Amino acid sequence: MKKFIVLLILCCASVQVWAAEATLQNIKVDTDLPAIESGLDVFMNTCHACHTLKYITYLDLVKLGVDKTKVDGMRGDQPLDTSLVGLMPDAAAEQMFGKVPPDLSLMTHAREGGPSYVYSYLLGYYNTPDGVTHNRIFPATHMPDPLGMSTATDPAQQAKIRKTAHDVVSFLAWAADPHKQERHRLGYYVIGYLAFLTLLLYIVKKQVWSRLK
Amino acid sequence: MKNRVIDWIDQRFPLSSFVKHDLTEYPTPRNLSYWWNFGFLAGFLLVLQVATGIFLAMHYKAGADLSFDSVQHIMRDVNYGWLLRFMHATGASAFFLVIYIHMARTLYYGSYRAPRELMWWTGQGLLIMLMATAFMGYLLPWGQMSYWGATVITNLFKVTPYFGEQIVTWLRGDYTVSDATLTRFFALHYLIPFLIIGGVLVHLVALHTVKSSNPSGIDLAAKENIPFHPYFTTKDLFGLGVFLIVFSIFVFFFPNMLMDPANFIPANPMQTPAEIVPEWYFLPFYAILRSVPNMVGGVVAMGLSVMMFAFMPLLDRSRIPGGASNRPMVKLGFYLFLLNMLALGYVGAHPVSAQTLLIGHIATIFYFGSFFLIPFISKAEERWLIKRGLPPALTALMEREARDRGNKQARRRSGDDK
Amino acid sequence: MAENEDLGDAKRRNFLIKATAAVGMAGAVAACLPFIDSMNPSADVLAKATTEVDLSGIPVGGVHTVAWQGKPIFIFHRTPEEIKAMQATNGIIDPEPDQKRVKQAEWLVVIGICTHMGCVPNKDAAGWLCPCHGSEYDDSGRVVRGPAPKNLYLPPYKFVAADKIVIGVA
Repeated sequence: MKKFIVLLILCCASVQVWAAEATLQNIKVDTDLPAIESGLDVFMNTCHACHTLKYITYLDLVKLGVDKTKVDGMRGDQPLDTSLVGLMPDAAAEQMFGKVPPDLSLMTHAREGGPSYVYSYLLGYYNTPDGVTHNRIFPATHMPDPLGMSTATDPAQQAKIRKTAHDVVSFLAWAADPHKQERHRLGYYVIGYLAFLTLLLYIVKKQVWSRLK
Repeated sequence: MKNRVIDWIDQRFPLSSFVKHDLTEYPTPRNLSYWWNFGFLAGFLLVLQVATGIFLAMHYKAGADLSFDSVQHIMRDVNYGWLLRFMHATGASAFFLVIYIHMARTLYYGSYRAPRELMWWTGQGLLIMLMATAFMGYLLPWGQMSYWGATVITNLFKVTPYFGEQIVTWLRGDYTVSDATLTRFFALHYLIPFLIIGGVLVHLVALHTVKSSNPSGIDLAAKENIPFHPYFTTKDLFGLGVFLIVFSIFVFFFPNMLMDPANFIPANPMQTPAEIVPEWYFLPFYAILRSVPNMVGGVVAMGLSVMMFAFMPLLDRSRIPGGASNRPMVKLGFYLFLLNMLALGYVGAHPVSAQTLLIGHIATIFYFGSFFLIPFISKAEERWLIKRGLPPALTALMEREARDRGNKQARRRSGDDK
Repeated sequence: MAENEDLGDAKRRNFLIKATAAVGMAGAVAACLPFIDSMNPSADVLAKATTEVDLSGIPVGGVHTVAWQGKPIFIFHRTPEEIKAMQATNGIIDPEPDQKRVKQAEWLVVIGICTHMGCVPNKDAAGWLCPCHGSEYDDSGRVVRGPAPKNLYLPPYKFVAADKIVIGVA
């Protein structure tokens, strides 16, 4: 009897997973400064209340190109090289949500699907008739709906929320990999050089081997 | 001036004669194909890994509460730290790819056969050291996959009779994978590559004693050899250029492709990730481990699966010289084995299910089966090929080898041991 | 004729090999640069290389101590009387006019490490007094009583606003 109940519960649990398992909306992250800065604003106003961004400092924001006076306003009297720790202490968060909100510095890398996962997750909140909020992408989440997608009915409002989500994901993608642009730039030069050198090496090889009878 | 310096050295050290004998004028078969480039590539990658590794070690901190942060420090704050890290991580995967191709070349062309058995066995030793280095290196970032992968694999030593649990604790330095494990893995990860360098030198001394095999499988006459420089120096450098382009595409544009998402989360001993997956180069062996229902059996099977390659020179009983070029069964067996490895890799990468278990069982049986059947198949193939008729060069070589064998036996019997 | 062609070929071949070697060497050298640069101070270390100080919180006559590259820096907001007194003399032991020691007369910015044995002096009415061996400095950081041999050293700094300085860049 006990075995049967356990099996039944497992079946229900797995059905729950399958019902909630949705395909991800694939997005392309914006890499231009306005989008990332827009996302920074969303982060500071909405996410920063609970989430840390411990591997990004205010100095990194200045280096990104954000106006220094704006950054100074955000940091108050903390030195420039302070990292963006959260405003909510761990103990309070654990009491309120049952779990410490994870650091977001690497979140767009730390999930299967990358930025598309985070985007779909933020927009994946919905309400059931009993008034409980769930998330389609990660049903076991303890996090409340940050952008209000679960209550948005007006298409214009929904579009605005989607843009907000896109911007904050673009910001988080930058935060996870601040050197991406530099890496790509260097990559083009290195591979261009290597292609040229390899061509030369090929010609030399052919020349040398042609001497063989 | 340069000649005077070199002369001075030559009177005290065999510099010029060594360079001439073992590098520039070293006799190499003229018909080597591009499949012979991979030994050089492996050597290059060894140097690259050591170089990037040493510079990374200037910034990396080994410690459960420090490692993850130190890697982020390298990625974000250290000048070109991201480049060093991506080169090192991609380099590890590239190293295994190059080595597996290098091994495949040896199996296909029968380069493990007499008199090159020691080359194959030193290579086997190098492979095991490489695997140990890679396994320990993967723990160092202290991510979720690092931690749990190390936990699963160190747990396997539990199967040792009588001392199992103690050995696991001794290995880890603690009751679980912890700070103690991390620091010792760092020390050993730094050490073993230098042992590998020593092993490579032994491997190369062996090579220079028996000289390279070649695609025909028959050792060529001396006049068919050409000096290593400039023919193979230019060919190796060209091959290196091609390799570096592919390598750079990964390093600069797809550096995270082989990084498991779970490893971007700091290790949490209280929570296991949904799937524990090793790096791609361990997948077939991981699949074999999981295919055997019994834990002891699984560990033994996995260990044996890596070691099986060593038996090749003893299993192959055919008198037909060379490899796949003259031996159709070798060719067929090789391709089937390759396909089987891919199937095992697929099984290793996916969570256990009814399908993967079935494929895994079949593939594991095929894996060991193909080794155990080699003695019989090689003999049967020999008989079939002789009956069918061999090309004259091959027959001549076989008669010469038979004569040599007979002479050696006769000498030994008459006590004339020289 | 054939010989000439061979010679031309040989010259071309030689050039090709030399050119390829040069391109290859250039790449090999360039490849070393990231390794070498990785040993330079990292971004977080460089961030500590400069310290920004808001002067508005320092009242007239007050002294503030800030850290810069691990060293204490005294920032002294001098009164007009103190400025006049300091400009009147050059100091005895290590003569130096006050004007050369400040960028703006009311702000004295000096490294708070005694030039004798390295202790941190304490502020008193006439300047600073080092507790270790009794060296005394005036309100311009100049040594007036030994055993210290030199005046308090000046860090590189510049004004980025009327009430803000950045220590670490001249």
